[in-house]
Amino acid sequence: MSNSVFSVISRFVEEYRSSTPNKLKMIDAYLLYILLTGVFQFLYCVLVGTFPFNSFLSGFISCVGSFILAVCLRIQINPQNKRDFLTVSPERAFADFLFAHTVLHLVVVNFVG
Amino acid sequence: MYPFEGLFSLLVLSLVLETQALTPTHHLTTTDVARLQTLLSQPFTDLKSAYYSVVGLSKLGISVADAATCRFIKSNLDPSSVESLFFAAEASQALPGCEIPVSNDTRDLLLATVSEDSTASQIHQSVSALSSLGLPLASQEVVSALKARISKEDNVLTIILALQTASRLSQQAELGEILEEIEDLAARLDDLGGVYLQFEEGLEATALFVSAAYALSDHVDMEPPLKEDQVIQLVNSIFSKKSWDSLSEAFSVASAAESLSNNRFHVPVIVSAQGPAAISHSQPFLRLQVTNVLCKPLSSASVLVESATATSSKSAILSQAPFTLRDGVFELNFMASQPASGYYQFSVAIAGDSRFVANHVELKVKVSTRVSINNMDLSVVDKDQSIGPKTTRVEYPAKAKASFMADSHQIFAMTFQLVDETTGVELTPHQTFVRLHNQKTGQEVVFVAEPDSKNLYKFELDTTERKTEFDSISGTYALYLMVGDATLENPILWNVADVVLKFLDEEAPSTIQAKTLYTPKPEIQHLFREPEKKPPTVVSNAFTALVLSPFLLLLILWFKLGANISNFTLSPSTVLFHIGHAAMLGLMYVYWTHLNMFQTLKYLAIIGSFTFLAGNRMLAQKAVKRLVDNLAAKLL
Repeated sequence: MSNSVFSVISRFVEEYRSSTPNKLKMIDAYLLYILLTGVFQFLYCVLVGTFPFNSFLSGFISCVGSFILAVCLRIQINPQNKRDFLTVSPERAFADFLFAHTVLHLVVVNFVG
Repeated sequence: MYPFEGLFSLLVLSLVLETQALTPTHHLTTTDVARLQTLLSQPFTDLKSAYYSVVGLSKLGISVADAATCRFIKSNLDPSSVESLFFAAEASQALPGCEIPVSNDTRDLLLATVSEDSTASQIHQSVSALSSLGLPLASQEVVSALKARISKEDNVLTIILALQTASRLSQQAELGEILEEIEDLAARLDDLGGVYLQFEEGLEATALFVSAAYALSDHVDMEPPLKEDQVIQLVNSIFSKKSWDSLSEAFSVASAAESLSNNRFHVPVIVSAQGPAAISHSQPFLRLQVTNVLCKPLSSASVLVESATATSSKSAILSQAPFTLRDGVFELNFMASQPASGYYQFSVAIAGDSRFVANHVELKVKVSTRVSINNMDLSVVDKDQSIGPKTTRVEYPAKAKASFMADSHQIFAMTFQLVDETTGVELTPHQTFVRLHNQKTGQEVVFVAEPDSKNLYKFELDTTERKTEFDSISGTYALYLMVGDATLENPILWNVADVVLKFLDEEAPSTIQAKTLYTPKPEIQHLFREPEKKPPTVVSNAFTALVLSPFLLLLILWFKLGANISNFTLSPSTVLFHIGHAAMLGLMYVYWTHLNMFQTLKYLAIIGSFTFLAGNRMLAQKAVKRLVDNLAAKLL
């Protein structure tokens, strides 16, 4: 059982390494970074305490929001999804990404206190 | 007899407004009449006040036989003034043996004043002067002048003066129309709460109306169109004021009182009990004063009790019993009918003259009695009933010689009977209390003694049950019996015995704490909200580093993946875009530290639009470049 799981995982990693374009890999690295940041914030909250709660929320939501926006960007840029996004060019996707981030940061900075 | 006679008789006269006619709630008492007389007897300063005094006193039945007054009048008379002549003529008529000399000019002046052009007051004064001085006058002319005057001025005072004037004219004159004015005027009276009837012009106008209406009615011998209830309401209005502001007001009240006492049609009857309407064996007579409004007794009246019923049992004690007149007071020996003590409702009728108004009166009479205490037995009973009770009988007003001991195993009991002293009938007064008074601490506890079905009073004291009332303080208590009731003449406070009570679990007698309601209370210190405990700085710094560490990881990964800025074209839009973007991020930081949302939005709008334009340009260029590259790759 574990054997098959292990083989599936190694196959997946191999596929990923070979067939994913570089741009997407960059975005994936960014996603990993955002994820780790969020996890570490949550860890702090669990270990030390929720004071100040608004700051924790704002930081955590910033991570979550950034992650989501980056995922959206990745989906839209992926050439394999081109058929789903005929009207959206990669540049347009990037511009949307930047605009959404501006709004997100406004809210996050307002709430962080 | 009592100083509050007047007030009390008013109280007794607070009557039942049943289906029967009204009875006066306000009337003059003898003190009020005396006060009126004193006011009118003031020394007078001018002819007008002399008129009011002399004529007013004559209405009260007091004649001023004073030569000095007559001289005063004669010397102050101004023969050229109608008013002066009026005052002098009226006053001199009230004084016996005082004659005013009259000249032809005077007579002509007075006759000339009788015309339509004079005011009603002038006509009244001249006609009265002419009549008092015994000079002839043309009644028909006066009547027509009055009628003309009334049609021009329709106010209350004018019509009253017209009525007064008409009463001085000859009986052959046509006074019918003026007589009708009484009814019209009566319709203009204001009814206040069904108790008072008065003109809005005030007390004086109402009183003058009454005297004028009755004067004219007597003169033409026709009953005035006033109902009995209206007459009583007028009595209430006129005699509710007991001190008068001016001489003219006092004069008007005196003339109203006189006309209500002596006219031919309506004589209101004032019935008041002499002293409190209370009867007992020592005072068996119910005494009533029956007077007219001037407080003169009506000797011709015969007073009858139509019915006397007990208020509690509604049984009739008396029916059609007459009062006997003695020394101007009507009395009835009610005790002869041997009534039980309590309250009785009397319905009294005054007959004897068809003119009497308000001659049915309801009275509440109290019959009191003396109470005596029989068979006062005190005993101390053991709770388990093993030892029979030892009963001690105590006679009022002696005190039991030995004191009684009761501790937690015993009950102290007391029984007695309350009876009427003379008849021996058992009584149940309203207040039968047993009071225990601790002489040392000053504490007292009061209990109620209840009668059983046979009207035998019982009181039991169980020390264990009652220890909260006593605060468990043992000691000698003086026992008092208190008996009281409104119908008892001899309320009783009797120190029957001393009782020594022993309580279990006696606490040290705590002094009764003075109420600490008004002493300053302890000060409240406000506690500000404590700031939450922050974790130590080391921990915070460590975690900050931890949270920032993935950024390092990102840079490493990107480097490994081969991120570069080789495609960075130094076109102006690219540069401007990056500057703008950096500015936006900087704005975010400044927002966090210094600004508020509105300022941020303002700056963001500026920087954002700039960045947008630059970015749009840049991305368009990139897009073009990408498409060109794609096309080139496809072609090759």
